Amino acid sequence: MARRVRNLRARIPRLWEFGLEHLLLLPAGAAIALVWANVLPESYYRFSYAIAFAVNDVAMAFFFALMTKEVVEATAPGGVLHPWRRALLPVIAAIAATILPALIHVQAVDVLDEPALTVAWPVTFATDLAFSYFVARIIFGRHPIIPFALLLAIASDALGGVAIAVFHPTEVHHFTKGGAVLAVALGLAMALQRARARSFWPYLLIAGSTSWFAFWWSGLPPALGLVPIMPFLPHAARDPGFFVDASPDAKDTLSRFEVWWRYPAQIALFFFGLVNAGVAFHSLEPGTWGLPLAVLVGKPLGVLIGAGIALAAGLHLPLRLGWRELVVVGFIAAIGFSVGLFFSAALLPPGQLLSETSMGVLLSLAGAPLALAAARVLRVGRFAR
Amino acid sequence: MQTVRRCLILVLTAAAYAGLLAQSVALPNRADSVKFAAIGDNGTGDRPQYEVAQQMTSTHAKYPFDLVIMLGDNMYGGQKPSDFVKKFEQPYAALLAANVKFQASLGNHDRPENVSYGLYNMNGQRYYTYVRKNVRFVALDSTLMDRKQLDWLDATLRDAREDWKVCYFHHPLYSNASRHGSSVDLRLLLEPIFLKNGVNVVFSGHDHVYERLKPQKGIYYFVSGAAGQLRKGNMEPSDQTAASFDQDQSFMLVEVAGQDMFFQSISRAGQVVDSGVIHRQQRPAS
Repeated sequence: MARRVRNLRARIPRLWEFGLEHLLLLPAGAAIALVWANVLPESYYRFSYAIAFAVNDVAMAFFFALMTKEVVEATAPGGVLHPWRRALLPVIAAIAATILPALIHVQAVDVLDEPALTVAWPVTFATDLAFSYFVARIIFGRHPIIPFALLLAIASDALGGVAIAVFHPTEVHHFTKGGAVLAVALGLAMALQRARARSFWPYLLIAGSTSWFAFWWSGLPPALGLVPIMPFLPHAARDPGFFVDASPDAKDTLSRFEVWWRYPAQIALFFFGLVNAGVAFHSLEPGTWGLPLAVLVGKPLGVLIGAGIALAAGLHLPLRLGWRELVVVGFIAAIGFSVGLFFSAALLPPGQLLSETSMGVLLSLAGAPLALAAARVLRVGRFAR
Repeated sequence: MQTVRRCLILVLTAAAYAGLLAQSVALPNRADSVKFAAIGDNGTGDRPQYEVAQQMTSTHAKYPFDLVIMLGDNMYGGQKPSDFVKKFEQPYAALLAANVKFQASLGNHDRPENVSYGLYNMNGQRYYTYVRKNVRFVALDSTLMDRKQLDWLDATLRDAREDWKVCYFHHPLYSNASRHGSSVDLRLLLEPIFLKNGVNVVFSGHDHVYERLKPQKGIYYFVSGAAGQLRKGNMEPSDQTAASFDQDQSFMLVEVAGQDMFFQSISRAGQVVDSGVIHRQQRPAS
């Protein structure tokens, strides 16, 4: 017992350091936005409309670039995505854990008599990588469930990105033109890699800006514009671990990119919360509950069903991972927050539907206490006997 | 004592209504004018909706409007073919039989695919425009106010050559009902376009009351969201409010005669609860 407490105490400060660095500014921005939008709505909306493009479409590109950096490094030896076949089971679980909440959402908003909200179903796919990692670490420590939870989140978000691109309710996509420009961007990134460019700036300014323009021209969220370029940046031979900050002395291009953009991306997140979480409470109707209901019920059930299908297909769960852990992971995966707000803003124009969906995303934070409660009831992770 | 008090309240209410009737501005009912009704938040399928529809039918006999603009939430709950009969075709059967054309805009309770329902006359479009004599009507989808729609609105209003420009949609840019109130987020997007292009009058629903606002930056705004639903006592009139009514369901009658727009708001019981005339504003310099 004493050893466990000692281990826990040794772990928590590092985790809180992570929390302070990665998780504080977005909720702070969101909290300010909620108060501002309800006290002085006119000035709030004037402000948020004025900076929405700069924040949502430009600054957030660096946040998603850093998220992609974590995924790219995870494909290196020692990473959670190495080798690729390890990802198969969480990917199957993610497919079920996205389909089921989406179906529940469509039904729920209908029952709650707000069928116009049906178009927001792709938002149910979202899982906040950093937040879910934080909660998973608090509950499980260094359990094998952590890579499983991260892979689940990455796969869900990737599926969500595809869903938003394909099923956008109002945007007309120009995939052919955008695709051609994207091919040029990828060609430029490849050429830079072959030329052994060590600095991240040419990748960013030449290939990155071309890719960003391709996304913008296609009608896809341009904030995802740096995502296809990041894999071309030379990176360390081994994965230092998920969300392990690069050393200031790191030499590889990807780590240099992280060192340079780590804090600007956090500031971008603060403004992202400020711009997107301002929901006027009087605009909410019962349909607002559709999204939290869908993810808080659908994700745990979906993870169980998906894992069941994978097991039936002959795959094996990692050691020390059973159905009780999967239920807890399902609740953790329900936390949409940053990615959910991003999907909402990318999918819906300003107005009631966006307000209700954004509030639904904020309510999905209930996944954190529910995961803790489920872990306690099911006696898993730090609550195991 | 209780009975005396009730009688007194009844007498005072009747007197108030009588006062309203005495002051109400009559619709000119000219042969060459544009006459239309406005209903919002109507599609409950319940008795009050049928009673408002009956009142519209009675009015139509004396005052033959040939257009009804629908301000959204045209249907609540189930939206199967049988619901279209119960919540639309039956209550307005007499008006439909008299060839009154309904031109709908959708609200947050409407299914998006209802744009294709024939009797809403939306031709599958979320937002659209049409002309009646000297009036340009623009129906918008305030539930999904995307950039493409805003650009279309700007171009449509800019090119309109009619004397009157009337816009209608579900969410009110100005409202003093306590449940929802003003949609400030939409106001910041739409109002500059309205001002730039000389919109005269805007009709909305969403709040289940009737409210006429004092001109806001020169534009007249009406909230008429009680043709089926009602939030009794929900009004919190402010200095923006010119008139309001939240004690019963209601609908609006409007007549555009030359440079004047006459309007009445009529309760389910047939009382004129507000009326007046708007003289067409000067177009902006641009």
